Amino acid sequence: MIDDIVGLLAFANPGFFLIVAGLFSVIARGTLARAACLLGGPVLALIALVYGGEWASDLSAMNFAGLKLILYRVDSLSLVFGLAFIIASLICGVYSLHREDWLQDSTALIYAGAAVGAVFVGDLISLFIFWELTAVASLFQVLARRTPEASQAAMRYLAFQIASGVLLLAGVAMRAGQTGIIAFADMAIPGASPPVGVIDISSPGAVVILAAFAIKAGFPLLHNWIQDAYPKASETGTVVLSAFTTKLAVYALARCFAGLDALIWIGAIMTVFPIFFAVIENDLRKVLSYSLTNQVGFMVAAVGFGTELAINGAAAHAFVHVIYKSLLFMTMGAVLLRTGTTKASELGGLHRTMPWTALFCIIGAASISAVPLFSGFVAKSMTMSAAHSSGEWIVWILLLFASAGVLEHSGLKVPYFAFFGHDSGKRPEEAPFNMLFAMGMAAALCVGIGLFPGWLYQLLPYRDLAEEYLAQDLFSTSHVIEQFELLTFAVLAFLLLRRWRMYPEERPGVILDVEWLWRKGGPAALAWLGRPGGFAAAAWETTVTSLGKGVFAGVFQVFAPGAWVSRKFPLTAAAVWTVLLLGLVAALVMFSSL
Amino acid sequence: MTDTPPPEEESPAVEPRQPVEPIQLGEPGEHPLSVLLFSWMRSEQFGRFLLGCVAAACAALFVGDVLLARHGPPSIESLPGFMGAFGFAAFALVILSGFPLGRLLRRPETYYDPPPPETPPTIAPKRRKGGRDD
Repeated sequence: MIDDIVGLLAFANPGFFLIVAGLFSVIARGTLARAACLLGGPVLALIALVYGGEWASDLSAMNFAGLKLILYRVDSLSLVFGLAFIIASLICGVYSLHREDWLQDSTALIYAGAAVGAVFVGDLISLFIFWELTAVASLFQVLARRTPEASQAAMRYLAFQIASGVLLLAGVAMRAGQTGIIAFADMAIPGASPPVGVIDISSPGAVVILAAFAIKAGFPLLHNWIQDAYPKASETGTVVLSAFTTKLAVYALARCFAGLDALIWIGAIMTVFPIFFAVIENDLRKVLSYSLTNQVGFMVAAVGFGTELAINGAAAHAFVHVIYKSLLFMTMGAVLLRTGTTKASELGGLHRTMPWTALFCIIGAASISAVPLFSGFVAKSMTMSAAHSSGEWIVWILLLFASAGVLEHSGLKVPYFAFFGHDSGKRPEEAPFNMLFAMGMAAALCVGIGLFPGWLYQLLPYRDLAEEYLAQDLFSTSHVIEQFELLTFAVLAFLLLRRWRMYPEERPGVILDVEWLWRKGGPAALAWLGRPGGFAAAAWETTVTSLGKGVFAGVFQVFAPGAWVSRKFPLTAAAVWTVLLLGLVAALVMFSSL
Repeated sequence: MTDTPPPEEESPAVEPRQPVEPIQLGEPGEHPLSVLLFSWMRSEQFGRFLLGCVAAACAALFVGDVLLARHGPPSIESLPGFMGAFGFAAFALVILSGFPLGRLLRRPETYYDPPPPETPPTIAPKRRKGGRDD
């Protein structure tokens, strides 16, 4: 019996335990049953990971359409990301105990399980399956707040996630059709451990796959779905959303495109531009969403450098970022729950009645700012060292600039304007105990990793190099003094600018970003084209619209509710269009490979 | 003969001891942890005190940077005080850019999601004479 259980744990992808817990939570009612699912799922997943089978071997596989799908394969790269996701799902589960919402509970667990599952699969098709599952499950985290703004943001969010999924499917199909190789281990250089950067950018389907990853990572111009959707979710939904999708994309980039030079510059740009938006943004959860893009930029740049030190830095940064970003979003979620707002212009002085939340926020802020002895320092240092060693001085300067910038928006602005600053007069109750406990867990990890980074460094992809870095460089006198110097002089600038009243006031409003193109510019352009009497309107109406209407009417006639096909099979026209579009993509790919 | 005792000197009147009012720490209703950790930050002198401490820390770090023995080829970041100057300048640049960027990019909160149109108040229909409620 025990052997059977151990066997199941050793050969089962840990993500499955989270997904099953999510399915059970649909019917779980009452705190005990909910806790059993929300906490039991991550605990089982963690036990499965600990008792996992031999590394770098196909622990679970199945055949599909002549291809071998590797459903469970562990190596030192996937271990770090998977462990971070499991810990995040446990913390999110504790954080969510105060409110009973089966939709959020179940989709959060399924979302986490899909992310964990994705990092532990061994081939591109299995990755695609879990990739799509994260998209569908996470959608409900945005929808769950049940406001008109959240619903509309969810539709825009879904468009980006579907685009990413369709591109990934197309790229994988192109690759499978032309090379027949989909397993990461088979694509890697023989002997590479772990296999990273397994896809050559010039190989079939590579650019399309990279585009899919770019959307989920939030590359420049593709980033705004994060700032649009995340702040509109519930107080727990935003925490869940922040933990998985973007770091899953970082994992995928590391697995497939480590060492791609373009990622260095893309990552560097990602670290810089969000800083300027975060300075003037009023909604503190949106500030943290811009901060998320900024931090992912460090990871993307590290993946681009591709050296062993850089890959260690990317993996370590992803691990600590999952925890301290969750902590920061949890503190803002507590503020949202108690005050109904996270707008800096409406907050201030909350430390009087929410001191624990304020303290945890300060710990999260210190971590994200890479203050020595906090978790961000032990991870970001490797990325900065890798950038320094690469000789790319402009990139190093940009990353250094971003390091000072992150202190502004996440290190100082979020805790200062929420909990200190001017007194808003609000005297809300402290956060519920479960929220405080979850924040405490995350804060303890932030401090623990900062004080004792050795245990994290032992998990990194290149363990020996990490331990050497820990022994010689991380806490060297020059490194610590330089980091303190960077941050302390930045704090001096903050104090002087506040004293001289040269700090921009927090004002209500939305900040224009690239989303303007599809939320205002695009509809306005279409309206101008379609204005009555216009030549373009006439041409549009007589040719494209008539053709489109005719085709749609024909499809609707056959597949409408009550029509012949719908009486036989429960399909809707929308579902049929989705299938047709996917089929068109697949057909194009197949014909292009002949 | 008895000596009359000298009249007792009248002891100066002793005012009854006023009850000592407890020192008010924090504000009414303030969480005890906040009283312990944060209440002292609200004093008027704290701002100057904090600025002084940070300035002193900056000076100490600069001295430490100058005295630091560096190995390897010289580079820009090995210049004493470079990291401090860079941190100060970068932070100031980010903050000051907020003024023009805010004027350029900020729009009203209803820019993308206009509020729903106000529904006009409904006018109750007139009741007919001879109805039940008359």
